[in-house]
Amino acid sequence: MRALYRALSGLIALSVAVQAAVLAAAWFLVLKDTDSGAVFDKNSGANWGHAAHSVIGMGVVPLLALLLLLVSFFARVPGGVTWALITLGVVVLQIVLAFVSYSAPVTGLLHGLNAFAVAGVASVAMRRAGDAAAPAGPVAVS
Amino acid sequence: MRTPIRAAVAVVAALAVLVPLVWFWYASLVPATYDMAAMGYPDYGGGPAVTHEHGGPRVADLTGPSGEPDVAVTLVARADGSRYTLNGTSPGPVIRAVQGQLVEVTLVNESIPDGVTLHWHGVDVPNAEDGVAGITQDAVARGGRHVYRFVVTDAGTYWYHSHQVSHEQVRRGLFGALVVTPPGSSANDQVVAVHTYDGRRTVNGVPGVSALTGRRIRVINTDAGPIRVWVSGTPFRVLAIDGHDVHEPAAITGEAVLVTAGGRADLQLETAGRVDVGGGAAIGTGSPIPAPKINVDFLAYGSPSGLGFDPAAANRRFAYTIGRRIGFLDGRPGMWWTVDGHLFPDVPMFMVVTGDVVRMTITNDSGEVHPMHLHGHHAVVLSRDGVAATGSPWWIDSLDVADGATYEIAFVADNPGIWADHCHNLEHVPEGLVAHLAYAGVASSFQVGGAAGNVPE
Repeated sequence: MRALYRALSGLIALSVAVQAAVLAAAWFLVLKDTDSGAVFDKNSGANWGHAAHSVIGMGVVPLLALLLLLVSFFARVPGGVTWALITLGVVVLQIVLAFVSYSAPVTGLLHGLNAFAVAGVASVAMRRAGDAAAPAGPVAVS
Repeated sequence: MRTPIRAAVAVVAALAVLVPLVWFWYASLVPATYDMAAMGYPDYGGGPAVTHEHGGPRVADLTGPSGEPDVAVTLVARADGSRYTLNGTSPGPVIRAVQGQLVEVTLVNESIPDGVTLHWHGVDVPNAEDGVAGITQDAVARGGRHVYRFVVTDAGTYWYHSHQVSHEQVRRGLFGALVVTPPGSSANDQVVAVHTYDGRRTVNGVPGVSALTGRRIRVINTDAGPIRVWVSGTPFRVLAIDGHDVHEPAAITGEAVLVTAGGRADLQLETAGRVDVGGGAAIGTGSPIPAPKINVDFLAYGSPSGLGFDPAAANRRFAYTIGRRIGFLDGRPGMWWTVDGHLFPDVPMFMVVTGDVVRMTITNDSGEVHPMHLHGHHAVVLSRDGVAATGSPWWIDSLDVADGATYEIAFVADNPGIWADHCHNLEHVPEGLVAHLAYAGVASSFQVGGAAGNVPE
């Protein structure tokens, strides 16, 4: 369970890098499409970069964060439940910031910055599981 | 803590997280086949409670008149690769009729896999002719046909489009223009049906600049979002909005006209000029002026005139508040549109009696613009963000409700049936942005889903 906790928190931290990468690709794709006369408007469907950002951000990451919380109840990681809750919290905040940004685009700045919080918090959770695993024996059991 | 107790606590904690989630998921499931009129909750708008079924007419009985049609058209729907066509073209043929004529359209589905219907956008047809799959008819399967009959009582610019899997079928081309002219008028008009195919903005299916062939420009926005239309080289007037004349329209220069998704605007050019619809698509000649920064405000355009009814005498007042929240829609997690705070299908059914005067306050707190379209009726705009209308009566069937905006509209309930009242960014309909207006005593005839595979959205 501790290894699973470590893997899930690691994946959440990694997903932040993936999200930044696909979003950059998405907007360069839009610019490239306009070169050949395409219009970017309400009719435009999501290109693969947008689609990936939406599926990962609205689907994969919340699911991982939820699983992390469930696993934390069983994983005996010191402070594991707390860090799983904090991770879930910043993930939810990230989604809220995204949708607030539709009305107030400047909030998008916070969406970008909060991504670092997601990565940071998930990394702390991952390190906790790692530290807990390192010293063999009963020390790890609180 | 001892291990068994610890494990028990962990299981309880996990269940405390999972059980509510599973419950919300399960509660959101929509049956595969259902009666739209039985969904959601009735909203009487502060008027007396009424019910659906009182032995009155069924939706299927509310047909257009019989008799010899004045205009008879057959439209064959076909899948041509990724494009859907009517009689081999997209847009389909322009249907022209004179005010008061009986129009008969025979829709034939040659090869559209999901089935097809035709909705007469902006024409206040009898309910059974409205063309909404699962509500006013069954979708026409491949090899099938359906006959629509209705009298065009109001001159103006309208359009028709499929209302079966409409978010996909309209985008892929199943639409066309319908023009109704007053008796004895000389046309000198030009249809400008704006549509974006695969990222290319077009006028009547042609990207770039087409020739100007008329002075009355009938702009039809068949797209998913609002477009801004501007005129270079000549003053112009907005003669009509959504098929209803503007009273004493003033000449305009240096302002753009916003045409919402599904909406129409008739522009009268004083001399030859150029009309741009964005994305490089235009009609006319010469170089365009830069798109003006401001739009004509229809709240104060033209001069007042009689409405034909008294909105102050309203006996029902509805709220149509659009929001957005996280939740499950038919089992799918996501950020979904809400109507009055509820997710589809738990949305209001606006209940009316024939003859009611209805006021509706449409508020958009959802973060995106929504072009709201009420079927079967025209409503007049009374106010926007608390500022009363001072211009010509502004009749609409498709209203651009920007994020943060509030409109109050009024209409007379004079067309019995069950009518969709939804967002015309058609992608938003399967995301929950639809409600219905239902008349007391009118019973359903059709079901969403079912053997015909009706998917109105």
